[in-house]
Amino acid sequence: MAVESNIIEAAGPYDRAKALSAFKLGDVTFYWITRLSAISVLLILGGIIVSLIVGAYPAMKEFGFAFLWTQRWAPSADPPVLGALGPMYGTLVTSFIAMLIAIPVGLGIAIFLTELCPQWLRRPIGMAIELLAGIPSIIYGMWGFFVLGPFLANTFQPFMIKTFDGVPVLGAIFAGPPSYLSLFNAALILSIMVLPFITSISVDVFKTVPPVLKEAAYGVGCTTWEVVRSVVIPYTRVGIIGGVMLALGRALGETMAVTFIIGNSFRISSSIFAPGTTISAAIASEFAESDGLHQSGLILLGLLLFVLTFFVLAAARLMLMRLDQKAGK
Amino acid sequence: MSDLSVSMSASGGLPQAPVLPEAPAKVTVRNLNFHYGEHHALKNINLTLGANRVTAFIGPSGCGKSTLLRIFNRMYDLYPGQRATGQLMLDQTNILDPKLDLNLLRARVGMVFQKPTPFPMTIYENIAFGIRLYEKISKSEMDGRVEKALRGGALWNEVKDKLNASGLSLSGGQQQRLCIARTVAVRPEVILFDEPCSALDPISTAKVEELIQELSEDYTIAIVTHNMQQAARVSDKTAFMYLGELIEFDDTSKIFTSPTDRRTQDYITGRFG
Repeated sequence: MAVESNIIEAAGPYDRAKALSAFKLGDVTFYWITRLSAISVLLILGGIIVSLIVGAYPAMKEFGFAFLWTQRWAPSADPPVLGALGPMYGTLVTSFIAMLIAIPVGLGIAIFLTELCPQWLRRPIGMAIELLAGIPSIIYGMWGFFVLGPFLANTFQPFMIKTFDGVPVLGAIFAGPPSYLSLFNAALILSIMVLPFITSISVDVFKTVPPVLKEAAYGVGCTTWEVVRSVVIPYTRVGIIGGVMLALGRALGETMAVTFIIGNSFRISSSIFAPGTTISAAIASEFAESDGLHQSGLILLGLLLFVLTFFVLAAARLMLMRLDQKAGK
Repeated sequence: MSDLSVSMSASGGLPQAPVLPEAPAKVTVRNLNFHYGEHHALKNINLTLGANRVTAFIGPSGCGKSTLLRIFNRMYDLYPGQRATGQLMLDQTNILDPKLDLNLLRARVGMVFQKPTPFPMTIYENIAFGIRLYEKISKSEMDGRVEKALRGGALWNEVKDKLNASGLSLSGGQQQRLCIARTVAVRPEVILFDEPCSALDPISTAKVEELIQELSEDYTIAIVTHNMQQAARVSDKTAFMYLGELIEFDDTSKIFTSPTDRRTQDYITGRFG
């Protein structure tokens, strides 16, 4: 024993110091590479914000805060009048309706896949969901334009308009005439596009629930629904909200598909069957032929979208903190 | 019943308990076989759980004792490819009946798991949750039931001032007693303990064992354990299982002092397992 350790020590000092210094160089390099990667994110983010502000400055100076509550969008008027109210309204309404549809359906699919689905059906459905996420948004746009739009305008919209005719509030929300291009169509397409986010993230977090916890709930006599509602969803709440926020971020910023089917009208209508526009759709459809103040106004719209998304994420964080406090953690 | 628990908890080692009169059968197992897919996990099990008795299941890992426990409340039903054949009666109810209402069965046969499994909600809700599944009762009545259950779980004094704290904020031993209280709250007839103390420290273990003794006055209890002293301390009857077979089933005092089968003797003396 003693002999062995002596031999190691005798050979040791020189080699060990050399080996360590080699490690040290590697460590320093590694540290700086990772640090630079992390810093580059901040630099890119800062650069984008700065260039947006610089580009939007002329419009900010011209319109001030009135930009936020002006509905009129007349770039060729003299002097030009630009207001973001229409696109902001459209962005929020389409995203809201999209989430209203996508959250229950997405969670429903996730619950079915993890708790109820027979084994042989799991893979096909799971793969179909993943493929849904892989479809390019331009394809959704075309499908919405040529298939979904006409279908909704001929069947679903007239039905809803007739049903809610004369009902207060709802009558105004579902008001005619039916249209191929509308806020509702865009929202429906958006909901299909964000569905995979909600479903695949929910499936992943549902799988993290310890089997024994579910067994315990079954053990006191819960039905599958009761287990899901009282144990699985509360246990995975944070993850689900994360998935929903990711989906909401996508819905707020989605451009191509929405530009195809929303109608690009800056007028705000109470009806969700009327054409409208979103911030990203307005930028996409006008940026190419814009210049001067008009272009600056579009960049300002982009800055608004940036801020809007930031607030949505911040609100989500805050909500999570509140929920954690309420659960007594 | 009470003099039994005194004599058992007083002795740290093997029990000197008097042999109890045969209790009426609560659960009857006849020629029970169980398969995990191709694997024949339980082979021709025959035994009865006496009403208001504690029956311990011992044996080396993989001998099928937890599997047997999970048949009593049909927990295996959650997983595909597992099937049980034979006869398994809870009083007059056939537990293996495919048309049996599993939620009702599990209300009658409660289960406490190896690891504490508090639900992600407050301490109060952890208890009230199970009660609400079966009964619509007023808030004040519910308060009473929750208190009673927590007292039944020997936890009331420790948590009465923080009923609205999360169940997850309790220590491991407290969580396990919360789970026992939750099981008791539903008013089952049989309680299954699947190695309830394996994740607990010695003091918490002693509390849970004491609790099991008290609970046997009102409930029929089956407990799976790797700890032979524990089996000796808490149970009236002991079943020794090995490789999916029931080797010996007798009064605990007999199993631990003069077992009939060679393998039982080898196991309890620590020669294998």
